[in-house]
Amino acid sequence: MGGTISFAAAPPPPIPANAPPPPLQATPTPEESEKPEKPSGEVDWLNLPCPISYDELQREAMMSLKPELFEGLRFDFTKPLSPKFSLSHSVYMGSLEMPSQSPETFKVPTAHYEFGANFLDPKCMLIGRILTDGRMSARVKYDITENVTMKINAQLTNEAHFSQGMFNFDYKGRDSRAQFQFANNAFYGGNYIQSVSPHLALGGEVFWLGHQRKSGLGLAARYNSDKTIMTGQLASTGLVALSYVQRVSEKVSLATDFMYNLANREATSSIGYDYLLRQCRLRGKVDSNGTVAAYLEERLNLGVNFLLSAEIDHWKKDYKFGFGLSVGEF
Amino acid sequence: MAGGKSTAGGNRRKLSASAAAGNEGVLSRVGNTVRQSEVFHKGKRVASNTARFSKKLLWSTGKAAWIAGTTFLILVVPLIIEMDREAQLAELEGHQASLLGAPSQPPGLAAMT
Repeated sequence: MGGTISFAAAPPPPIPANAPPPPLQATPTPEESEKPEKPSGEVDWLNLPCPISYDELQREAMMSLKPELFEGLRFDFTKPLSPKFSLSHSVYMGSLEMPSQSPETFKVPTAHYEFGANFLDPKCMLIGRILTDGRMSARVKYDITENVTMKINAQLTNEAHFSQGMFNFDYKGRDSRAQFQFANNAFYGGNYIQSVSPHLALGGEVFWLGHQRKSGLGLAARYNSDKTIMTGQLASTGLVALSYVQRVSEKVSLATDFMYNLANREATSSIGYDYLLRQCRLRGKVDSNGTVAAYLEERLNLGVNFLLSAEIDHWKKDYKFGFGLSVGEF
Repeated sequence: MAGGKSTAGGNRRKLSASAAAGNEGVLSRVGNTVRQSEVFHKGKRVASNTARFSKKLLWSTGKAAWIAGTTFLILVVPLIIEMDREAQLAELEGHQASLLGAPSQPPGLAAMT
């Protein structure tokens, strides 16, 4: 309370200096808010909105429930050299969890520096990253025509069999989207999603893993209104994933998801909140595995963001805390 | 089983009574009788059970409180702080808007009020 009073009492002098620049109020929100245009009144069945792509069906739920939690320190610095080209430097120090069979978690202290170059253009996007431990990644997105987009994702490591490459061709129709994917290890896939009504979109996917001689089918549905988003996904590998996002207000949304794996009969679900305030974005979630996590992005200044990440696993007694700073944004 | 115990107790009582008939006082004899009685054993068992159970209960309540507290600290405390900041900012902005929205008042006077 004392802070409130002093804060409220202190500002009056700098008001004239502070008032002219309106960006303080109109600071851009960290995430884009893309709203589907809604036809009013009668449903025009020939003019349905274009659905979201199959890979990003659960995007909103993922945004709220799966923030990039980290442990340790991270510092990101992005320097734009021209409006389209920027360089990024990032330092990470902390411990990484090693996958192991035993219930205890092994943590290996790591530190690396990452250098990146970004070229962003409305038609073409090129992103490259190189790490001091020898990993390299590249992403390309290129609009061949207005409706066809090509995407390339590649990851190179100095360990054998871990390098990956993936090509995607996306076709965007008026009320549907189709995608063809092929990757190394003879992976071929395709998916298609179609708007069925102004709010509902249905889709399916097929993939074939050549080296493992495995194939799979997937089905998905997404209901999207301006307040709620519901998605359901079913895969022949035995995975059932459901998600639900409720926008309580402009700033607040609540999300929950449920995942069931038929193969090992494991179900997990989580529930979380996502607050998008003027000065910060705060995400928190609770998991059925006993994990509690929160992620705070605080805008200290224009282009300077402060990150706090916390994750507590009560059953495994695994506590992860991280803080970071990111300077400059593209 | 209970019968066997009671007869053994009885034997011991008789023995101790005969051995210490001369030099032991009434108090110790009463104490011995109480200590070897059935009710005393039962009470002792109940007491130890209660102690163990309450210890367990206390420990698990402590653990639950720890989990609840840490969860609260992670999920709710930052939220409260940020909401408070947001409210402050909105208040400040409203204040500014009201100051700017009153052109008839000179800024010096507005700042004074």
